[in-house]
Amino acid sequence: MKTRWAVAAALILLCLGAALVAGCAREEAEESRVIKIGVAGPMQFVHGQHHWLGAEMAAEEINAAGGIKVGDEYYLVELVKIDTNELLSVEDATNAVERALAQDNIDLLVGTIRTEAAVAIQELMMDNEKIFITCGASLKQMADKVGQDYERYKYWFRVTPLNGELLARASLILLQYVGQVMKEDLGLEAPKVAVVCEEAAAGDALAAAAQQVIPSFGMELVGIWRPSPQATDMTAELTAIRGAGAQIIYTYLSSAAGVTYAKQWGELQIPAASVGINVESQAMGFMEATDNYGDFECSLNTYALVEITEKTVDWYNRFTERAGEFPTYNAGTYDAINIYREAVERAGTLETDAVIAELEQTRHTSAAGVQVFDENHDVIWGPGYATAVGTQWQNGELKCVWPYNWEGITYPGTVRYQIPPWVAEALQ
Amino acid sequence: MIRVWLLRLYRDFKGDILALPGRTLACLAVLALFIAPLFIRDTYILRIITLTAVYAVFAASWDLLSGYVGQLNLGHALFFGVAAYTSAMLNLHLGLPPVLTIPLGALAAVMAGLVVGIPCLRLKGQYLSLATLAFPIILKGLVYLFKEYTGGELGISGISRLAGSRLVECYIALALGAVLCFLIWKITDSNLGLIFHAIREDEITARASGINTTAYKLLAFCLSGLFAGIAGGFFAHYMRLAGPFTLDVLLSFQAIIWTIFGGITTIYGSVAGVIILFPLMEILRAFPEIRMLLFAAVIVIVLRFMPEGVVPWFLDRVEKECPRCKERNAFTRTRCRVCRVSLSEREVRARTTTRA
Repeated sequence: MKTRWAVAAALILLCLGAALVAGCAREEAEESRVIKIGVAGPMQFVHGQHHWLGAEMAAEEINAAGGIKVGDEYYLVELVKIDTNELLSVEDATNAVERALAQDNIDLLVGTIRTEAAVAIQELMMDNEKIFITCGASLKQMADKVGQDYERYKYWFRVTPLNGELLARASLILLQYVGQVMKEDLGLEAPKVAVVCEEAAAGDALAAAAQQVIPSFGMELVGIWRPSPQATDMTAELTAIRGAGAQIIYTYLSSAAGVTYAKQWGELQIPAASVGINVESQAMGFMEATDNYGDFECSLNTYALVEITEKTVDWYNRFTERAGEFPTYNAGTYDAINIYREAVERAGTLETDAVIAELEQTRHTSAAGVQVFDENHDVIWGPGYATAVGTQWQNGELKCVWPYNWEGITYPGTVRYQIPPWVAEALQ
Repeated sequence: MIRVWLLRLYRDFKGDILALPGRTLACLAVLALFIAPLFIRDTYILRIITLTAVYAVFAASWDLLSGYVGQLNLGHALFFGVAAYTSAMLNLHLGLPPVLTIPLGALAAVMAGLVVGIPCLRLKGQYLSLATLAFPIILKGLVYLFKEYTGGELGISGISRLAGSRLVECYIALALGAVLCFLIWKITDSNLGLIFHAIREDEITARASGINTTAYKLLAFCLSGLFAGIAGGFFAHYMRLAGPFTLDVLLSFQAIIWTIFGGITTIYGSVAGVIILFPLMEILRAFPEIRMLLFAAVIVIVLRFMPEGVVPWFLDRVEKECPRCKERNAFTRTRCRVCRVSLSEREVRARTTTRA
């Protein structure tokens, strides 16, 4: 009798053990069907918040559709938030990414903003042979490395923004367009242009390019001003610009100095239209920050509420509703994750080299345009690809003003550039 | 012969290290730091250990100059940054290996020590501090000005790695950190350290005693620059980047925070400060929104209750000083291990009262 009970108990234990093992194995198998994507950015700042929101939207959509199809299996996307604190500490940023690599086992990294940190993170990701899609840093040299040493840097790609050189070209074309409007509306023969580029690497390139190109646009360069990115007062520069007789100000302001500049430009009623790159003017709170003096400020942008593609308006509205902010180029994490999804699905495997080969074949229609990578894995700019847009604050609303009949492109919803009324009055 | 030597080594170890809880713990901590990487495959933890070792040297070098000599340096990142940039440039442009670029970078930091030291020798107190604070800011300006050599705000990237694996890099850092921190401690424990103490306590008296205080202060700047420079060169090769962030005011302040938290004018206090606070910042990543707030709160609370720093507070509890020979003893002892005088407070008080 005792033996029988012992056998029964042993059988029950065996069954329970087997069930437990099977359960664990299944759970493990299910757990392993997850693709971990690291989203790196300064999460306490608006840049990082846009990185995260863009990624979150992409992950939710992919998971709602069943996940990423790899061969016959579906993998869910799991996001890993990496607060890089990169605006304050580069070393902190690399530590955070190394942590995500070693402890969270991320398969892909998207994001980063500060160039100095992005360069260090690029090296770290290449050491670990993991794919890194930049959505924030514009340094062209990051892409050049792919061309110089493909085997090491093949894991790197950039979705947003355009690289520094292309940003310069696009913003100068925007300047040319505004110049054209000034010529047509005010009868100016050769508008006088003042260049205001903040003291930064990208500012150097833009100032040099502007100096070369502006005369070929039929405009006259009256001077170059280089304020500090930390400038809290630009009265001296703006007064000098007024004194120089400038009719257009071409800007490159990526820092908070953009708010100071725009506020004082409007407040002092400088008789010159302002156009170029002013990152702060891309934010929803720009008008409030400038006490409404920033009206008519015009800047190159990545997204606008026009039909850049059929996806733009819907995505732009959903992002704005969710974030309470207009999307900036950092929200390109949305496109980066979708581009990766498409590449993995085409490759039918998660094997890195196969995914890279498919990433190189990318032709992704996103909210920013059609995204295709060049031989250095940098996003291509131009008609038919991602063009970037010019946006202008018009009576408190951010409107898309460019491309406007540029290379045959005018996105539906685009309006004509408006010359600030006090500028028109002064120059007529 | 070897047996005698080993026996003496054991006796010294037992008498000088095992007799004191603080030293025993420090020894165990170093041992644990050297053994742990053998069992750690996590590159992130190896990275934290490596950077902890590098920053320990950096903080100790600040303690040497500011704690011992009293030259409050608010721009210590200058030495770190100069060495980082020199090592990076020599490696990238001349193709020199890290084994050469790091010492050469440290040499450049020594030169920087001279450049800072000579004009600052005439200054004291807050004027000296402000002057030292200005130097890394000036250098940062030069970095932006000569961007064709320094890479401007992007820095110099793509320099050689120290070794092929994180584990080897970790061991190089640990060995370097242990040797350099021990060396700094030995300097402060030598006659030179006594002179440094004297200069800090009363410079006029020290000069009246025949000490060339100017030369010694300059020497302190150079020594501090040398050690911070080795840390800076190593850091650049480890990160494979030397950027303006290596000259940040924040980095200078970090050295001060680590040292004061651990215990200033001790060397081991600054090392302990780094060992506690640097990984703590990483642990606090679990609370990203309030990470800095928690970090600051920990420092404020700890310094409220341990104003001399964590290590002196701890040592005061586990060790007792002999009232006669001033040698330190474990808290468990009733009599001094050197002069056999009673360490019991009651007996000491009774003896003092009788004498009175």
